[in-house]
Amino acid sequence: MSAPDPGRPPPLLSLRGIEKWYGEVHALRGVTLQVARGEVLGLIGDNGAGKSTLIKVVSGVVRRDGGQVLWNGREVALRSVREAQALGIETVHQDRAVVGTLDVARNVFLGREPTRGIGLFRVLDRRRMARDAQALLRDLRLHIPSVHQEARFCSGGEMQGVAIARAMHYQASLVILDEPTTALAVTGVQTVLRFIRRLRQEGIACLFVTHNLHDVHAVADRFVVMARGAVVASLRREEASVDDLVRLQLGSEAAGRGPLPGTA
Amino acid sequence: MDGARTIVERAQLLVVENLIWAILVAVFLAFSIALPHFFTLQNVHFILYVASAIGLLVFAESLVLISGSMDLSIAHVAGLSSMLVGALTIQWIPGMPGWTGIVLIVVVGAMLGSVNGTLIGWLGINPFLATLSTFLMYDWLTFCINRGAISRVSPALTFLGGGRILGVFVAIAVMLAVCALLGFVLTRTRFGGWVKAMGGNPQAAQMLGINLPWMNFWVFTIAGALSGLSGLLFIGYLASIPSTIAGGDDIFLAFAGAIIGGVSLKGGEGSMAGALGGVLLLGVIDTGTAMTLIQPAVRGFLNGLILLAAILVNKYRLELRDRILAAHPGTSGAAV
Repeated sequence: MSAPDPGRPPPLLSLRGIEKWYGEVHALRGVTLQVARGEVLGLIGDNGAGKSTLIKVVSGVVRRDGGQVLWNGREVALRSVREAQALGIETVHQDRAVVGTLDVARNVFLGREPTRGIGLFRVLDRRRMARDAQALLRDLRLHIPSVHQEARFCSGGEMQGVAIARAMHYQASLVILDEPTTALAVTGVQTVLRFIRRLRQEGIACLFVTHNLHDVHAVADRFVVMARGAVVASLRREEASVDDLVRLQLGSEAAGRGPLPGTA
Repeated sequence: MDGARTIVERAQLLVVENLIWAILVAVFLAFSIALPHFFTLQNVHFILYVASAIGLLVFAESLVLISGSMDLSIAHVAGLSSMLVGALTIQWIPGMPGWTGIVLIVVVGAMLGSVNGTLIGWLGINPFLATLSTFLMYDWLTFCINRGAISRVSPALTFLGGGRILGVFVAIAVMLAVCALLGFVLTRTRFGGWVKAMGGNPQAAQMLGINLPWMNFWVFTIAGALSGLSGLLFIGYLASIPSTIAGGDDIFLAFAGAIIGGVSLKGGEGSMAGALGGVLLLGVIDTGTAMTLIQPAVRGFLNGLILLAAILVNKYRLELRDRILAAHPGTSGAAV
């Protein structure tokens, strides 16, 4: 660990040399990046670049095999989703992590449902879940007919709304959005982008993972380009047009095809 | 709540959601018309009684199915825990007070179930293969302990399964209490919600921080404990502990009752109230055909045929339900 700089507060999240192997596949090769407080960081790269794996590490879904994670300058283990949530990291997963057979309200609170009573007599506070879910969805300007409907009858955009409502409810300091606009209609995309802008206004950092460069260029403060499990470029919004991002993504992929350290 | 849904659709939905009860009443009335002594209070009492031991197996299987797994071993968990505790309290340690057997049988059942839970939750073995192995092991272990039967079972062990209070079989109360308790857990507690979530979408459940290995462990352990309790009811029913105590068709009936009762094989869907309906339908059909002059072999075949019919009806029921809900996805009638 480097000596703390007394003049400047440490970044919210700092990843140093993150490694991840899936069997023989070297999915993350020493990824180093930082997210500042309130910053919207666009993480881009082609399929298989390691974006989703990196997200899973940060959200606690999978454990890293090497490297350090610093949260507000302090090293954290990040061994489980619960630990990430406790730190204030909320994740909107690529497939939205919605259970179709449960109703919308239950989905918003799934895993952390509010309860009443104590000990063995702790029961779900269903009224509160319904009320809060309704308020959250109204706040997101999402018009789901009823929070009691089973989630499998929601459209893709509505399911995304459910996943976002979840992130909104728990007052995170960092919200990770993994491909939130993929497979969404235009209005759904607008809802997501509006949500990201709102996070920034509230000073909440956002890690926005996508391969839709137009979407990310519309909201991100900074871009990090990944290819073949490593960070290949990092640039500020002012430094790059959408076309630059396209070239970077394509170029990095081509460059990535060369021999990389650690490959046979 | 949802104004878009018409009264006709609401009525359809009400029928579709509660179809098992309509079928139950219809089948019951059909037997009542065909058989002179079917429609009596005594017979209803008897139907409930014979349904109780198998009922606990159905509830156990329902819980496992809702969690997105399956358990082929529950009937033999019931058999082995009965035989083991019977041998322990009656033959090996003769001085043991009978009531300790009641507690032991549930504990042993839970332990046998936890073996499944460990194999599936932590070793990641497919539930079908894991429970197929334990099914064989538990079945033959029961024979290893005793090839014949333990008779002279202490009254404490037969009370829950064979005793009566005010003329009513205690076993019926046990079945209804377990059904109510599990229904409560499934609909009103976090654990129950997570069981449904892991069955409906395991990846989502995991990403939201639900610990799937632990959940699997507990689901199979609870199923084991219920199976042990079921074994206790079988002991009271038979007034002895044969090595075949819960074998034969019992495991298939456990699946049948759950599926007839609307529990999905795909996981994530089903209720204990529905499972109870399935149990009672099995009981009505079994008792009804037993009261006819049909030979046992043909009866077994007919039971299978009726089961198939029920499964087909359930399939169309679910399709119809989806159509109604998809047309106007307001509140689902099956909120609980």
